Amino acid sequence: MNAFFNGEIFKDSLWLLVKTLPTVFEVLILGLVCAWAWGLVLSLVRLSRFRVLRFLAAAYIDFFRGLPLLLLFIFVYYGLATAGLRLPPLASGVLGLALCYGAYAAEIFRAGIQAIHKGQMEAARSLGMTQGQAMRYVILPQALKLVVPPLTNELIAMVKDTSLMSVIAFPELLFRAKEKMGVVANATPLTVAALLYLVFTIPLIRVAAQMEVKRRKKKKKGGAGPPDGLTPEAEMELLSADIAGQLPKGGEMH
Amino acid sequence: MIELVAVHKSFGHLEVLKGIDLRVAHKEVVVVIGPSGSGKSTMLRCINGLEPIQKGKVIIEGEDLHGPHTDPNKIRQRIGMVFQSFNLFPHKDALHNVMMAPLKVQKKPKEEVEEIARDLLAKVGLADKMEAFPDELSGGQQQRVAIARALAMKPDMMLFDEVTSALDPELVAEVLGVMQDLARSGMTMVVVTHEMGFAREVGSRLIFMDGGVVVEEGDPREMIVNPKEPRTQKFLSMVL
Repeated sequence: MNAFFNGEIFKDSLWLLVKTLPTVFEVLILGLVCAWAWGLVLSLVRLSRFRVLRFLAAAYIDFFRGLPLLLLFIFVYYGLATAGLRLPPLASGVLGLALCYGAYAAEIFRAGIQAIHKGQMEAARSLGMTQGQAMRYVILPQALKLVVPPLTNELIAMVKDTSLMSVIAFPELLFRAKEKMGVVANATPLTVAALLYLVFTIPLIRVAAQMEVKRRKKKKKGGAGPPDGLTPEAEMELLSADIAGQLPKGGEMH
Repeated sequence: MIELVAVHKSFGHLEVLKGIDLRVAHKEVVVVIGPSGSGKSTMLRCINGLEPIQKGKVIIEGEDLHGPHTDPNKIRQRIGMVFQSFNLFPHKDALHNVMMAPLKVQKKPKEEVEEIARDLLAKVGLADKMEAFPDELSGGQQQRVAIARALAMKPDMMLFDEVTSALDPELVAEVLGVMQDLARSGMTMVVVTHEMGFAREVGSRLIFMDGGVVVEEGDPREMIVNPKEPRTQKFLSMVL
């Protein structure tokens, strides 16, 4: 027991790890903003009417969904450095997150946009709106509401995946905890890191679950019919994008 | 004025419109009837370019909708359309459903648009429902908001695509009433419907479509009682 939970070391590590939180938030928030903005752009390109662009976006999404995030971090930080492009750990972290999570977010946004009944686009166009205006004022406001639950799941995964940045010397929780563990020859710092992750992930997990319950209830009582609701296909699509979002992107740590 | 010249439209290998010619004059109320799958809704959607066509011409007020220098968005601003499934914007209340297009497309000032919207909603009998969201309204109310929304762009003509088909029977009259008022005010209208009563009372011309062609057209009061084509006779005997 003392090996994992030593009172003295616990206090020490807690202070040390709490001090790293601002850095973790920094990379997380920058990564999240970049990933989601990039994902939204990708999804719109993926749905555009230009075949070549559509293909490129789809290829990008498949490519980055198929790569372990850990490899991506190592490539961006060490790989690019061998070619003379030396990115600081923070920039590498943000870039890695944006490249990878952007691909997942793109799929979620696409499912959200496609879940909006096509009558909405037609009504907007029949009023003289351009494709872009219809997207901006009619489709996206509705789609963005739909993707909040799956994006919350993405956020949970992202919080956990910041730990992968320990391999690129980014001073986040796991990196500092491992360092400390080496010094004190005791696993308590890891316990503290675990607790700190949970402090952030468990509320998010509860929020996501709550939204799911609410959505089901609304669906049951609503039954307002198809016009503005989701078609069953669209709902499945959104769900599968959501499930994909809950899988770890990084693969195993070695 | 609306003019369709030999319009052909296919979905893949399925030819839905096989050469439609149609002229709708100012202030005319053309009622289109026909069995499902006859192409009447598709024809309506071709008029404002919601469906691309393979052959033929669609001319709105002298302007070729598919012409190289035509901006279809500009033309659509002059053609209001109302759908069977209402298609109100669920994230906006009734007032803002009506205000959106004049505000964002015509870029009119907000005060002016709000006044237009309030007027229109009052006119369709929804003065007390301005702040209601679509899911708080009955089908008939939603459809009246949809009509007001289309009118807010001050269109020269209106297209109605089976606008009462999704309504409970007791709600049909309130929507037809609004349409009747609109016709009386001199609006040019093309109305795809199964409401023969509306065709008889409001229509200035009746068109019967079947199998992607116009089979017969004429004065509604006369044609309903005395159809000439066997296909028209058969259809009318089933719906009347």
